[in-house]
Amino acid sequence: MEVAAAPWWIWPLALFAVSFAIGIVAVLGGIGGGVLFVPIVGSFFPFHLDFVRGAGLAFALAGTLSAGPMLLRNRMASLRLVTPLALAGSVAAFAGAVVGLSLPTDALQTALGVTIIAIAALIATTKDRYGGGVESDALGAALRMRGEFQDPAAQARIDWRTHRTLAGFGAFGAIGFLGGLFGLGAGFANVPALNLLMAAPLKVAVGSSGLIISIINSSAAWVYIHHGALLPVLVVPAILGVMLGSRIGARLLAVTPAATVRRVVIFVMLLAGCRALLRGTGLWM
Amino acid sequence: MDVRQDDTEVQEAYARWLDAGTRLSFAASLAAFVLYVSGAVPSYLPLESLPRYWGLPVAEFLRQTGAPSGWGWLGRLGSGEYLNLACIALLGVTTALCYARIVPILLRSGERLQAGLAITQIVVLLAAASGFFAGG
Repeated sequence: MEVAAAPWWIWPLALFAVSFAIGIVAVLGGIGGGVLFVPIVGSFFPFHLDFVRGAGLAFALAGTLSAGPMLLRNRMASLRLVTPLALAGSVAAFAGAVVGLSLPTDALQTALGVTIIAIAALIATTKDRYGGGVESDALGAALRMRGEFQDPAAQARIDWRTHRTLAGFGAFGAIGFLGGLFGLGAGFANVPALNLLMAAPLKVAVGSSGLIISIINSSAAWVYIHHGALLPVLVVPAILGVMLGSRIGARLLAVTPAATVRRVVIFVMLLAGCRALLRGTGLWM
Repeated sequence: MDVRQDDTEVQEAYARWLDAGTRLSFAASLAAFVLYVSGAVPSYLPLESLPRYWGLPVAEFLRQTGAPSGWGWLGRLGSGEYLNLACIALLGVTTALCYARIVPILLRSGERLQAGLAITQIVVLLAAASGFFAGG
């Protein structure tokens, strides 16, 4: 069907379906989903990238906010860990969103493609680390970045601490800036930063990452609102789709092997990253 | 001080407000969207005309449609688009409300550093919401 000939209501419906599917994959991959939403919708839907990036932020914000209460209650997310890192990230994300709306679309598409491929390569080459067995550094001790949680899989209560706090602040500043610039949650980068750099246990890293995305995107989303870059006909179907998909994804997560999930996410990211890169460089419009 | 007990109270308070704020935002968004696409409330731009505009850069979209930016949308809540935008904006203030809820708990338990960080985060979120720094 010709894009120009399609009735308007086809696109919100298609967006709902795509958001529903991404919502499932996002939960299976432990991410906000903006990293998949923006390149896929930006490449295959008729909306301008300005509106897609705004919807991507709202998409990741809705998914991570709704998961937050459960993550906090089962202590997979730690406010003590999240608060200082999210503060660094939200300031940087705000700056990134302002810069992002000032850049030419081609440059953004190209940079988005390179970033997505680089993150996919990072995931493919990074091994999970079971953290927690470190001593706090001085800053981490002052901020009391420690906690405990019950791990049903290990049938054990895990006490944890983090270290390299200053490097963690730098990492979340950089991640926040990229997230604001491209309208993606950058959960993939959060988890390695928390787990590999700061030594938070993997489950705490995944849970806290979601909460950090929700806080960072809360500030970046306002930039898009004030620029008039949130189109309800695009944003609301995306929110409703990701909510429904996330619930199903949460159920599937228990029965899907982690290795399968990881392969699916890397494949989709590489596909979307290559598409954005080709579009940005003008090789494939 | 029993840090674990304090953590539980703070995390539970934040979780409770986050849960309520999120449910309210989604219910309001769903209701407003149904009103918008069903034509029960008037829209600023006819839905049929949207495909002519949604492929434009946002600056060009605003120029051609005369749609408001900044806080201008607050004056047009009678239109379906901006009623929906108000519901989406609820998502943007939920985190600030959650932090505002835990600040008194942190201060009561002597956690001044964490309380200071929470207050700073609220200020950052309010600064972003104000639109004062939204250049570009």
